[in-house]
Amino acid sequence: MTFETIENWALHAFADGELEGEERLAMEKLLVENEEARKALAAINYQKSELRKSFGAVVDEPVPQALLSTAQKFSIRRRWPYAAMAASIALLVLGGTAGWFSALQSVSAQNISLANRATVAHFVYAAEQRHMVEVPASDQDHLQKWLSKRIGTEFQIPNLAAAGFPFLGGRLLAADNSPAGQLMYEAADKRRLTIFVAGNPSGKDEPVQWTWKDKLVTCFWREGKLALAVTGEMSDEEMTALAKSIYDQMDEKS
Amino acid sequence: MIIMATSNFRNDLVKELPTLRRFARGLCGDASLADDLVQDCIERALVKSHLYDPARPLRAWLYAVLRNIYVSNWRRNSKFTGAKHIDDMDGFEGSVPPDQDSNFSVALITDALDTLPAQQREVLVLISLEEMSYAHAAEIIGVPIGTIMSRLSRARAHLQNILEERGTTILRRVK
Repeated sequence: MTFETIENWALHAFADGELEGEERLAMEKLLVENEEARKALAAINYQKSELRKSFGAVVDEPVPQALLSTAQKFSIRRRWPYAAMAASIALLVLGGTAGWFSALQSVSAQNISLANRATVAHFVYAAEQRHMVEVPASDQDHLQKWLSKRIGTEFQIPNLAAAGFPFLGGRLLAADNSPAGQLMYEAADKRRLTIFVAGNPSGKDEPVQWTWKDKLVTCFWREGKLALAVTGEMSDEEMTALAKSIYDQMDEKS
Repeated sequence: MIIMATSNFRNDLVKELPTLRRFARGLCGDASLADDLVQDCIERALVKSHLYDPARPLRAWLYAVLRNIYVSNWRRNSKFTGAKHIDDMDGFEGSVPPDQDSNFSVALITDALDTLPAQQREVLVLISLEEMSYAHAAEIIGVPIGTIMSRLSRARAHLQNILEERGTTILRRVK
């Protein structure tokens, strides 16, 4: 029947107000001449009016109070927690650099492990000159699919080129009991930045926290299905900007 | 720099709630499931408000957010398929008094809608019910416009077949 024909797409487009100019005139002409087309158009319009009859009244119903309250008052947990950063810097100053975690009482055991692994992995691999990555940036699509598959969550490889850190590549690593990945970036001055990506089996979000070891700063958080830690040798300000960009880019696809 | 939904965003969001509820109802059919979806959508939209580009229409963005939640729920949980539970499907004719014409046609179209594959249903709902442009529908679903058009014409053809089939069944019964 006409519903299946390709010419009929134009009829649908006409019914939906998508045709303009000559296409529209041509369709109007066809409708005058062709009864089959008129019937098909009538069928489309009948469906539309029936759908609106069925669901149209929803917009006139009062919106349930629960939905209104959520829209007006729901507090946004997902925000870049500068407050947490300021607090942890203050604690660090009090505790001194010796016990880099001792001052941070609020860091969970699993996050200590995350930060430790990320820092150690950075220390080990970012020092490599010849074998710094397993899969180079030229094979980024494969790396993205491979690591997403091994970690069990589809994630995007953040682009930090605009921030001065082009992508070098990445490798597969071990997290506590499961695969993790390391993504490596390098600035023009040869400083490297790594992102440690692991799954977050508990699914529990934890806000961004910070730790410092020697010259390295690590910034880490958990959200949804991913646990992330960003490590590099840089100022807190530079790390803040980079981690924020990573945070936003890793989020968009979820 | 702290990312927070502004009160403007919240006000605009509140204004969109009636249509958002209609879209959700069209997608999944069931009123309480639909409002659960809207609830999740509001939370997600507020959390992600920093990703919203104010130069683009808020409604289409919200529809995309809601539709993504719907799709991931529906993959996770079969109760979100939108298709009725098998127990509810038997008495199609019996449940509709044949003399109440308007109610009858409403039940007919919603039952027909429930037989559509989810991919066709969402396109049909966006375009026939929500009057989204093809371009916005393509953006919301994340497929090319050509795919939207072919799903749309298949959805309408499918619906038409069902309406015709059931229409004749009813006529026979009424006689």
